[in-house]
Amino acid sequence: MSSSLSQRNSLHIDWFLILLVGTICAVGLINLRSAAEADGLQHHVSQVLWVILGGTAAGLLAAQDYRNVERAAYLLLAGAVFLLILVPLIGDTNNTTAQRWIDLGVFQLQPSEPAKLAVIVATARYFHEVESPNAHGIRQMLPPILMVAVPWTLVLIQPDLGTATAILLIFGTMCLFERIKASTITAFAAAGVAALPVMWFLVMHDYQKERVLSFLNPDEDVQGDAWQVSQSRIAIGSGRLLGKGYLQGTQVQNGFVPEHENDFVFANHGEQFGFVGGVALIVLYAVLIFWALRIARYGRDRFAVLCAVGVSAFLFWHVVVNLGMVMGVLPVVGIWLPFCSYGGSAMMTSMMLVGILLSISLRRQVFA
Amino acid sequence: MAAPSQQPTEKLQRVGTRTDVREYDGRLRLLAILFLFPLVGLVVQLYRLQVAQGEYYHQVSSENFVREVNLAPDRGMIIDVRGRVVAENRPSFDVYLTPAVFRLRDDAVSELKRVLHMSPEDERRLQAHLDARSRADYVAARDITRDQLAMLESVRAELPGVYVVVSQRRHYPYDALAAHLLGFMNEIQGPELDNLQEFGYLRGDFVGRTGLERAYEPILRGAPGIERQVVNVSGEIEQDTIAADLLGSYRRIPPVAGKNLHLTIDMELQEIVDEAAEERVSGGIVVLDPRDGSVLAMFSKPGFNPNAWSGRLSTQEQRESDNNPFHPMLDKSVQSWFPGSTYKVITAIAALEEGLITAEDTINCPGYLQYGDRRFRCWNRGGHGDTNLRSALAESCDVYFYQLGLQLGIDRMASYAYEFGLGERPGLGFNGDSPGVVPTREWHEQHSPGGFQYGFTVNTSVGQGDTRVSPLQLALAYAALLNGGTLYYPRIVDRITAADGQVVFEYPRRVRRMLPFSEQHRGEVIEGLRAVVHDEQGTVFSHRLPYMNVVGKTGTAQVRSLESVRLADGEIVFRDRDHAWFVAVAPLENPQVVVSVFLEHGGAGSGDAAPVAMEIIDRYFREVLGWNDAVEMAISTGDDAALRALFATSAAPTPSIPDSRPASAGTLLPGESPLQRALPDPSDESFGDPIVPDTSQAPGTPAGWLPVFPVVQDDYEGGGQ
Repeated sequence: MSSSLSQRNSLHIDWFLILLVGTICAVGLINLRSAAEADGLQHHVSQVLWVILGGTAAGLLAAQDYRNVERAAYLLLAGAVFLLILVPLIGDTNNTTAQRWIDLGVFQLQPSEPAKLAVIVATARYFHEVESPNAHGIRQMLPPILMVAVPWTLVLIQPDLGTATAILLIFGTMCLFERIKASTITAFAAAGVAALPVMWFLVMHDYQKERVLSFLNPDEDVQGDAWQVSQSRIAIGSGRLLGKGYLQGTQVQNGFVPEHENDFVFANHGEQFGFVGGVALIVLYAVLIFWALRIARYGRDRFAVLCAVGVSAFLFWHVVVNLGMVMGVLPVVGIWLPFCSYGGSAMMTSMMLVGILLSISLRRQVFA
Repeated sequence: MAAPSQQPTEKLQRVGTRTDVREYDGRLRLLAILFLFPLVGLVVQLYRLQVAQGEYYHQVSSENFVREVNLAPDRGMIIDVRGRVVAENRPSFDVYLTPAVFRLRDDAVSELKRVLHMSPEDERRLQAHLDARSRADYVAARDITRDQLAMLESVRAELPGVYVVVSQRRHYPYDALAAHLLGFMNEIQGPELDNLQEFGYLRGDFVGRTGLERAYEPILRGAPGIERQVVNVSGEIEQDTIAADLLGSYRRIPPVAGKNLHLTIDMELQEIVDEAAEERVSGGIVVLDPRDGSVLAMFSKPGFNPNAWSGRLSTQEQRESDNNPFHPMLDKSVQSWFPGSTYKVITAIAALEEGLITAEDTINCPGYLQYGDRRFRCWNRGGHGDTNLRSALAESCDVYFYQLGLQLGIDRMASYAYEFGLGERPGLGFNGDSPGVVPTREWHEQHSPGGFQYGFTVNTSVGQGDTRVSPLQLALAYAALLNGGTLYYPRIVDRITAADGQVVFEYPRRVRRMLPFSEQHRGEVIEGLRAVVHDEQGTVFSHRLPYMNVVGKTGTAQVRSLESVRLADGEIVFRDRDHAWFVAVAPLENPQVVVSVFLEHGGAGSGDAAPVAMEIIDRYFREVLGWNDAVEMAISTGDDAALRALFATSAAPTPSIPDSRPASAGTLLPGESPLQRALPDPSDESFGDPIVPDTSQAPGTPAGWLPVFPVVQDDYEGGGQ
């Protein structure tokens, strides 16, 4: 079976996936456009640019055999780690609370985003190649854990609790597809639990602790997070069944929802389009997530399966954690909504993962 | 969960192409179920928010216009020594609008324009703000009149989103009186805001620009507060529970009022000074108490009205001020100028202390000093004949001091000037507080073209050349001469009180140093200064007070050499006229007041400056201290001796000034009060280390009376009188 694109019928291209992602991107752009009434057009315009750039990147990746990605997986991980190390060295020193960006002049790269992609492909490649007699023991599980722990720690100390959590959840989800000894799972889980107090007292910053506390005890408004979430809930709730209508959202238009073009973009969506619009968007995401799992089912090899599962997990955790925090059921940890939240690094990463997904789908195994 | 356990474990198999489509079905199904539940949960939560509680949230959002109102602190007042308020706050009604709400009415702009009488320019700015779709509230007008306020209230319903904030505006009840001393305030300009923001300043805040307003800004200002209000669409403040829920725990942080400054200044005396100098064009006057360095009045002319400067100064007023050749914004009482003959006191003390002369030694004044081929003239071309110290001071003989200067050398003279606090900042802490210039040989090597020349020494001995002192410095120096030898730091703030009247800090008097001169030498110089006023030959004999011994010294500082003086219709062009000085202390027996008068291009010290100083002293004792009746009675009965006795002892009528002065103010030295370290002392920054002249490298006095002297072409015209 040849893997060259030209020999493939265009019917093999996963048009449904493209349609899904395109629709969600369009919804995101519409929401950003409406926020422009209050903030100006610059977010909307540059997001359009990122969608185009990201789509192009996805197309180029789709044309590649994903095995090229597999070959480059460890290199990608090393590159991501290199960029993460670079952040505190040449990052934006004006930002006193967290160092997350590398200023490239044209735009600010957030290396923790490509790190997610690198973790997915590197993990998939490792599990593709590793062998153990029956189920994985500590000896087989230690290398991938260490491999992921390096970028994870670098992200955590930036500090970026949200991205660190996302990396952990994605990696954990992918591990579900491996046979691992119960004793090994218990050992690592115990080590993780033991590490919690260490994290709390040594690694986590005060503002992160406050966020967790603010979530656990919303009556005590620390640092205004509860205020932010409260305003976000009001925005969504006030949309009622059908929404206030496009550009009619008073909460967002009057600036009551901070970060409404970013992490809290769903507040804008919910306020304008109501329960109907909100459910429609959630359904779009759900279909996308399950479609990725369907692609995994027909993956031609183990890497393809794990990779597609990783992308699915990536989408799932971002959507659930983001919407959860915007609707006030999860703490505010700075996880964005794929294809909707404003941001170049996030859009590029999401789009490249879609590109890999397309490539996997294009070269799926046609089982007899 | 069927397939994976049956997987072959060989690597090739694992790596190769899959053959069984159901291989991962179990895990995929498990994962799909795991994924499904949270997604459904999200929908449920969305349902709860938007459908179950949708009406509630909709209600909340419609009332949800939270406004953060900055609560400006009341600025501290400035109060004079008798409790008169010299800087206070008055309410200013400022009109704000919330664009999002304001836009709801189409004719809102024209309606607002009608009520506020907005200029086309203001209207354009408002329209631009609305067009920019900014969310920030906009200040449509500041400080509107009460009529406008009433009108605005009456049409409130037609102007959604418009609200009035009452703020404080600085007001100076005495208008231009003591303007330089008090300073003025104005709005923070754009780029400054970046720096001031971290100190809690906001756009539109006022900040002290000069004088006390600037020096004591952190103390006067206080700390701003903030209040969060929930307002409905019509701009009314909501008080119900929804509002309370929205606001959370920090609804209001109250502002902290600024502290009050209590000055040593007496505004009644300040007014007397102002009137005494009424006909003078330009100058600076300092009146202080020689017993503790308290400044009683500080005056500079021409002045400005801080009320006008604290508002929006019209461009015309600004231009008028900028074009005024006498620099109205400059505080001339702390700027330094040529001192002229007032400087002879330093030369005299120096010569006595160095043992070069005694008070009785005479020097012949032929009207000039021939030095090499250069001739230094005395102001009296006819000469004073044989003069001793007393007559030299009384008649202000230049030649006498030329000779002393040549014997002393420039560096030895400078070291005595430093003892008197000249050449270093007096320590007032604002308005420049000039250190002046006390030239030394080294100073001339650095600053004079051609380096040091002996002619400079001659000039310096009579306060000409490059010497510069400020009226404040001279007042402090003369105070030290007369009060027994204590040089004080000037004291202008007596204490700081909190808004509730509690004293939070007291500024005690502060001794700079004790003058190491013998009492006899000081007495001899003071006797010379007494002769200035009370000898018939004295330069100010005609202006003496009949009832009190006043001592002082005139100065007429030459601004240009005679050749370059221009004449206009027989009158000397104003800018070419001499500076006039008179520094006086009274009464001699029990010094209570020092008056240092400097008139820029004022003419002659004796004819122009002295009458001003004498009027101030006269009216100070009669009107401010209330001795008028006693003085009049003594004069009418002709009991001259009794009158003089009145001022000779401290048993004289007790002045009422010390009432508001702390009793403890006499003993503390800097650093003794722990409070002093706790509170910022704005004057500290200017307490430069005294510049001690390096006398070891002094050229030494040439052995003879007339050392060889470089040739200078210009014929020097000595200042005098």
